[in-house]
Amino acid sequence: MINDDINQNALPQWLIKTEAYAPSRDSAPFIQKSIITLLRILSRIHAQNAKAHIIQANPVIKMLYTFLFVLLLSMTGSLSFVAIAVVYQLAVLSLMRTEVLLGVVKVSLGVALFTFIVLLPTIFYGNFYSMQMILPKVFAAVVAVNLLSHTTRWNELTASVKYFHVPDLFIFVLDITIKYILLLGEFSLHMLYAVQLRSVGKNRNKVLSFSGIGGTLFLKSREMAEDMVAAMTCRGFSGEYRVYTKYRFRKMDALYVLIMALFVLLFIYT
Amino acid sequence: MHIPDNYLSPVTCAVMAAAMVPVWTVSIKKVKAEITAAKMPMLGVAAAFSFLMMMFNIPLPGGTTGHAVGGIFIAVLLGPFAACISVTVALLIQAFLFGDGGILAFGANCFNMAFVLPFFGYAVYKFIKNRFKGEKGEYIGMAVGAYFGLNLAALITAIEFGIQPLLFKNAAGQPLYCPYPLSVAIPAMMLPHLLVAGFVEVAFTVGLYTFIKKASPEIINEVPEKKGKAIYGLVLALICLTPLGLLATGTAWGEWGAEDISGVITKGNALGFVPEGMKKGFSFNTFMPDYQINGLPEIVGYILSAVAGVVIFVLLFRIVAGLMKGHKSGGLVD
Repeated sequence: MINDDINQNALPQWLIKTEAYAPSRDSAPFIQKSIITLLRILSRIHAQNAKAHIIQANPVIKMLYTFLFVLLLSMTGSLSFVAIAVVYQLAVLSLMRTEVLLGVVKVSLGVALFTFIVLLPTIFYGNFYSMQMILPKVFAAVVAVNLLSHTTRWNELTASVKYFHVPDLFIFVLDITIKYILLLGEFSLHMLYAVQLRSVGKNRNKVLSFSGIGGTLFLKSREMAEDMVAAMTCRGFSGEYRVYTKYRFRKMDALYVLIMALFVLLFIYT
Repeated sequence: MHIPDNYLSPVTCAVMAAAMVPVWTVSIKKVKAEITAAKMPMLGVAAAFSFLMMMFNIPLPGGTTGHAVGGIFIAVLLGPFAACISVTVALLIQAFLFGDGGILAFGANCFNMAFVLPFFGYAVYKFIKNRFKGEKGEYIGMAVGAYFGLNLAALITAIEFGIQPLLFKNAAGQPLYCPYPLSVAIPAMMLPHLLVAGFVEVAFTVGLYTFIKKASPEIINEVPEKKGKAIYGLVLALICLTPLGLLATGTAWGEWGAEDISGVITKGNALGFVPEGMKKGFSFNTFMPDYQINGLPEIVGYILSAVAGVVIFVLLFRIVAGLMKGHKSGGLVD
């Protein structure tokens, strides 16, 4: 009894009352969607370094091969060429590791579905040609580009554009961009989590938070850029940047060249 | 607005990429003049920001979400040339590494989102800002610039789609690439952009700018105050639009040639004859008759004629201005 008296004197009344507070549900799909998109990008950047996925071949040849494939595919008017190209890409896909396979198929099917919806009205006009040609072409081209990006290290891919007379400094900017997409992406992910954690119940201001997140990200990006430049200056960076690339011709490269030649022949004779 | 491969013909893609080359060259020159080579990596961070901004979902009424391009925001804070480079790098990484947007269509995507959008948006922003003094003009300019910058980019995209069935058909007359003519492509692209996407871009640009002005006003004050030369961008955009003339069948009113005039219709009746004076009159054979050059595809001839026209006018004006002032005036690339 005495104990109870002491407790009641020490603690304010409202603290002793048991409350049943259930926050009203609030949905903010833009935060959820942004988190999912960011996570997808970050995991993609992390995954590109996985050694197991890389096809050991000269990245310049790989890039030429992809470009030639997409170009021939775009120029052809022959349905048999398109059919062979699609089957070929599916065959290559079937040889890939599961993670690569799933990643490529997801993106490619997404673009193909979008194209299907876009082209759907043409069927009602009696134009079956577009659906027959453009849809498989789009699918095969997206698969080809995604396979290139999944089976090549990105720094090798950016370095290989040196062969196309892209200045070294531009390659450097590209590499920095990829690194900072990762850094700034993680930073914005934390901000999105913070907004989600701190809003309990209905929070109308949540909608306005996107400008805060975007604005903070911009300020942070400037700060990081200045820090990076200062750090690089301290280490003696003067604006000179040289990309060194040395590739041997390997068995895999010969295979790529052979496939390129076959597709050119196929293009001419179909 | 990211065009995948096979929606546009390789020829269109090549023309658009060629149109971007001078834009990139001038942008790099301009940016290099402002920041030293040692600070160039900063562009990479700006590009990373631009890339991430295209990934952010922005809340729309009704619980749905949309994406902004963010080109006008970067143009307002860092200048249109830096915006052009950042968006280009962001698009490059999207196309080659994430498979979003075609690799052949890269030039076209850059033309729409890294050139038309930031340059036109910035030109509108500058135009309004310089006419209304104070904060109001700034915000109105930014909102109007973002809205129209995005919508002009969407319109150009729609035109790129719409000219495909006109220019590229197989022997049977079936369209080889995007099958929709302008009459379908323009409303299909413009309705969602005019009604929704334009406002997303406005909310994004104004929202972020307001935040930065409150949180870190010194950054806004750092923005270099320059007389915009964005008008050059507009001229370039117009040059690239000239092949649209291919779509019109008639001749401009009052510009009839001897072969056109008998078909001129007045009050419902065709003229039916060629006036004597015109029949035997002076006939002038130009280097580029009907904006075409023998041996070149029609579309290339059109663009080349437009470039030649603009260049000749610029030369004439600069010569006249130079003679009047008696000194050298600055060109675009100096």
